[in-house]
Amino acid sequence: MTSTVTPYRSRVDGARAGFARLARAEWTKFVTVPRWMITVGAAVLLSVLVSGLVSTGMGENTSDDGGGGPPPVSADPLEPFQDRGHFVGLPRSGDVDLIARVDSQTGGGDWAKAGLMIRGATEPGSLYAAIAVTPGNGVVLRSGTDVDIAGSGAGAPTWLRLTRSGDKITALESADGVSWTGVGTVELDGLGDDVLAGLFVAAPDEVVVTRQFGTESISGNTAYTTAAFDDVTVSGTGTSDWIEREHPSGPAAQDDTTGYTVSGGVYTVTGSGDLGPDMFSPDSTRMVLNTTLIGLCAMIALAVLFITAEYRRGMIRTTFMVSPSRTRVLLAKTAVIGTVGFATGLVSALGSFLAAKAGTDGLALPDLFAWPVVRAIVGSGVLLAAAAILALALGSLIRRSAIAIAVALLALLVPQMVASGLPLAAANWLERLSPAAGFAIQQTVPRYDTAIGPEAGIAVLCAYAAVATGFALWSLKRRDA
Amino acid sequence: MRVMRSEWTKLRTLSSTGWLIAGAVVATIAVSATAVFAVDTSHCPTPAECFEDTVRLSLGGIRFGQVVVVVLAVLAVSGEYATGTIRATLTANPRRLTVLAGKAVVLAATVAGAGALGVLGSLLAGRMILPGNGFNEANGYAPLSLMDGPTLRASVGSVLYLVLIALLALGLALVIRDTAGTITTVFALLFVAPVVGLLVTDPEWRERLDQLTPMTAGLSVQATIGTDTMPIGPWPGLGVLAAYTAAALLAGGLLFTRRDQ
Repeated sequence: MTSTVTPYRSRVDGARAGFARLARAEWTKFVTVPRWMITVGAAVLLSVLVSGLVSTGMGENTSDDGGGGPPPVSADPLEPFQDRGHFVGLPRSGDVDLIARVDSQTGGGDWAKAGLMIRGATEPGSLYAAIAVTPGNGVVLRSGTDVDIAGSGAGAPTWLRLTRSGDKITALESADGVSWTGVGTVELDGLGDDVLAGLFVAAPDEVVVTRQFGTESISGNTAYTTAAFDDVTVSGTGTSDWIEREHPSGPAAQDDTTGYTVSGGVYTVTGSGDLGPDMFSPDSTRMVLNTTLIGLCAMIALAVLFITAEYRRGMIRTTFMVSPSRTRVLLAKTAVIGTVGFATGLVSALGSFLAAKAGTDGLALPDLFAWPVVRAIVGSGVLLAAAAILALALGSLIRRSAIAIAVALLALLVPQMVASGLPLAAANWLERLSPAAGFAIQQTVPRYDTAIGPEAGIAVLCAYAAVATGFALWSLKRRDA
Repeated sequence: MRVMRSEWTKLRTLSSTGWLIAGAVVATIAVSATAVFAVDTSHCPTPAECFEDTVRLSLGGIRFGQVVVVVLAVLAVSGEYATGTIRATLTANPRRLTVLAGKAVVLAATVAGAGALGVLGSLLAGRMILPGNGFNEANGYAPLSLMDGPTLRASVGSVLYLVLIALLALGLALVIRDTAGTITTVFALLFVAPVVGLLVTDPEWRERLDQLTPMTAGLSVQATIGTDTMPIGPWPGLGVLAAYTAAALLAGGLLFTRRDQ
């Protein structure tokens, strides 16, 4: 008699493990290495501490490039605005009708402004509405920090007109002073009865690149514009004592190139400094978020180790034996390291910002819930996630920790390494095309030296990460483990 | 002597060493040449008023070459710990400080050789490219030459800089004993510290930081123009880096003699 033996059958379900379980396995592999978790925690803590410590020393000296002179006009660091230029006006009560012809305008570049303004007071930042003609951009109507309405494309000579009735100010333009075209109407809530109405000129600083002593510096040089007005009429009730308000660009600008003369009904006004966005104000949020670099370095090392350590210890064979689909394994690792990177970036950016805000003395930090700040802080999470995914892909391709970490850090720190001494144009291209473009997401204010916009910058880094992951998946299937 | 020979054999017979040394030389020269190529006098007030430090510009690739040098130095130590070779090494030579000295001398000599090649190649590239970009004798720029005192100092200093960076990485590798950790730490010290230092806007503290940041201070040895306006002079700057290196080697040596394996 022969006894039949039932062959052994595993009771484990034959179906392939789902992606969620694979991701969970990879998650466990990451969080159960104590020194990795300690590294993440230490990096976050260090960046928060450095931000908090250093920001207490920051203060008045932040705006050392361009501008200078009086403090920034807008209190909101996210919408830096300057209310400079040369204004001459008459005090008026009640409704006003202000008409003048801009006869000629010279100097100051395409955005030099010559025109009419009604403002509540002489102080910078008071309520105003202004219509101006520019040499290169036609007629513009400006009010507050946000109203910027374009009129026709006409240049000087042209007729301009501002009429006030109540809180409403209407701007008009005309080629002949007879038939008027409306440019726009603005409402200035809280404009008192007494206003100043008159002529103004303004010119943005000229951005100049100078190379000396081996470094290129980009700076704003004061630009002057001169305009001649005739047929000036300021109707309404008030005296005829002209009030002059000069607020030039930079502390050194008060010299004889600015001025104001009247002869035979022609008013000639010269001035510098712009009425409009201040492109030279410091991006304080970005400076504070610089410390996320510490977390970035740690994440890159961990992301590389996440795969190279498996090769070192032979663990990768077990991993592939358990789940033979290598694509899914790498994708699970990508998902895990992306999540850890996002959390690290988010926490360290948020912590750095809050620490700096708590400790700050003179540095103006914007509100946490303003969109550019939210974008910068959440974007720091995306930045670290994308950097970690790029590093993981490089680790999978190179398989040796030392080289992979060096390459990944090199890719993200390359502007810091070579920028010194390089011409600004070349350095800007490096900031646009290298993976380091991702740091652009931490910008909150458009500046004269911005190389790439926040969203475009992070997209460049994400593209690098995606391409590297694609290569890693392709090569992983073709090579032995 | 025999320790040095064994260390030399260990370093020489690793296939990665050759690649890394070649990489360091090529990276240094390539980046230097690119930097020199990219710079011309177009943004200067006048070509003669550019005050361009052509020597420093030509040696710009050292910033890049040091990355490879760091990897080489770290692997020389952490590779032994990762593979367990360190046990065989210490069995053969129980005197640990002798082992450390042997490693340091062999590494320093190797890096000095690679650095000299990189520096010479970079200077040659600068000498060939610079005149075409407006930095010629007509504008007051003499062709690069090692016979010139400051140029010689900058060149020798750059080689010494690479050696000090290698020894700094070696010392830290003995403390941390882990490839990934050491490389990341050295990079953070070199490249992240200056960026975070930008946060400090107080001029006095800023100058102090520039004097104490290892890369900024150490690379001041490359300057040949305007040395009196720099935060720190050429040789004192290299001295700051040497102090970092000495501290790292001291800590590494101390832990090396005290810890197991």
